[in-house]
Amino acid sequence: MLSKLLFRNQDKKQLVIAIVGAFMGITFLVTSIHYLIKVNEFGEGADILGPNTIIVQKKVSSSSTLRLTKTDFSEREIQTIKQEKFIADVQPVISNNFDVSFETADPMVPRFRSDVFIQTLDPEFLDVKSSKWHWEEGDEFVPIILPRDFLVMLNTFMSAQGIPQVSDELAMDIKFKFTLSNETGKEWVDARIIGFTNEVASILVPESFMTYGNDKYAKGKDQLITQVMISGKESEFGLVEELLTKRGLESKNSQMVVGRLKSMVGTLFLVVLGISIIAVFVSGLVLIQYMQLLMSRNAYEVRTLLRIGYHPKTIIRQFFVYFVKVFGIVSALALLIFFLFKYFLDNMFASGGLYIDTGLSYQSIGALIVAYGIFTYSSYSSAKKGIFKEY
Amino acid sequence: MKIIFDHIMPEPLASIAHSAESIWGNHIEFNPGEKILLNASSGKGKSTFTMTSFGLRRDYRGTVTYDGRDIKTFTPDEWALIRQEKISVVFQDLQLFPSLTVAENLEIKNELSKVYSERELREMLDLLGIGDKWDQKCGLLSMGQQQRLAIIRALSQPFELLIMDEPFSHLDEENSQKCLTLIHKRCDEQNAGFVLTTLGDSHNTHFDKELKL
Repeated sequence: MLSKLLFRNQDKKQLVIAIVGAFMGITFLVTSIHYLIKVNEFGEGADILGPNTIIVQKKVSSSSTLRLTKTDFSEREIQTIKQEKFIADVQPVISNNFDVSFETADPMVPRFRSDVFIQTLDPEFLDVKSSKWHWEEGDEFVPIILPRDFLVMLNTFMSAQGIPQVSDELAMDIKFKFTLSNETGKEWVDARIIGFTNEVASILVPESFMTYGNDKYAKGKDQLITQVMISGKESEFGLVEELLTKRGLESKNSQMVVGRLKSMVGTLFLVVLGISIIAVFVSGLVLIQYMQLLMSRNAYEVRTLLRIGYHPKTIIRQFFVYFVKVFGIVSALALLIFFLFKYFLDNMFASGGLYIDTGLSYQSIGALIVAYGIFTYSSYSSAKKGIFKEY
Repeated sequence: MKIIFDHIMPEPLASIAHSAESIWGNHIEFNPGEKILLNASSGKGKSTFTMTSFGLRRDYRGTVTYDGRDIKTFTPDEWALIRQEKISVVFQDLQLFPSLTVAENLEIKNELSKVYSERELREMLDLLGIGDKWDQKCGLLSMGQQQRLAIIRALSQPFELLIMDEPFSHLDEENSQKCLTLIHKRCDEQNAGFVLTTLGDSHNTHFDKELKL
């Protein structure tokens, strides 16, 4: 009876406009947050470097070959790059300053030996479990991350020897050893592969092992920094790329393409997210205004109900529940459309070769809950204010 | 419930001269179960009395108390309870819902305390000669029919005091008497009192006390 009295003669046009606005706003809000997160997560865990991180070196030119220009980084150059607003961090890649060779040390595998180049990366930039990535003097073996190209080369060697090739998992069970040496001494240290990388061309070792080797077997001359790791800020990869061009730096092309793509798509979804937030806010505001209009049109009815004994809370509940239900239905429909969008977009990405994670991002559902919570609170306080005005 | 008007002077009436026996500016007590005729000419504040004693106006000097407590201290919870169970009012402008039917106007009030069944509500409408209007929109009734509906609505709750602000102004003598019979019966059933404001007509009915404005 109360509903019949208070919700008759509504101006449905305004209500429909607000509902359509809220529906579209929520749909795009949930969708954009979901894909913003998924795009940022894209590529994470696939390799050892963290998101938005690349390894760069100076471009080698004829003048650098003739030693007219330097190919190493000075401390000042590193600090200058670090000061750019779009750069999150810059760290040098430390290389060995001693002779080191790498060989198989497993009776099940034929002997393979090669002089190698080893490097270490700041643990902050590495996406590997820290418990595995640790070495100290006296440990049974040193953990290493092997360039995948190195494994391909090893398998080519195996194949030539008529021995079956090894998979990633099997390679991680093979025993290897390093030989560290200089003019006066030599030492053997066992090694085990704990991961592979497509992004770094050298064998990666923990920082403590590199320090140990450089301290004990260094050749005496200063160590040069020829590569640095640069971590760019979210969605600002384009600026990192500009910096590289400006400073005559280069990186692996695949790293650049992924970074550029993520940056562009991320920016696009950020714009959509901004528009969605505005749309949800405006439509919520229109719904609240509609509620106020409805209460103002029913001022006589509200006043009379209060005079004949109705509790203000009972009348507040009528308006509040009605609008929370409307927003709830709109949110449920928007969620349904989001799932349909998601189904089609995931398939579209997959058919284009972009296998992004198809799991649901809880942040997008969280955003919906937050929007619903804000609307619920606003509609309650608005209804309370409107009813007590007639009290 | 004992109501005391302790030197009440509504602000809009402060500039008007009031007689020595007027409610305004004096100490007046309304005892439980008392039937009171409040007689005054137009513009003396009969509706102001109704609104003030029902807590709808607060623009006055002095103190109104219910059982010793200043009504300005009541919370919305307490007012809702008072309006549901202690005091019922027939407003001068009736305060009905024109878009609802007669039945719905009664049900919306009866829902609060469920005093009457539909059959009893229909019987009361019959008694007052508007039994055939059950499904008719209230807004289509004549003023006299609406007054009778407003009286039945006011009776559709438990109360200790019934305040009626010129409730028979559009009724003939016969219908006024029918209404008064029903009002007396309902008051006696609950040991309740009433305050009936009039423009000088005593309506040939029994009352315990007459007050003036």
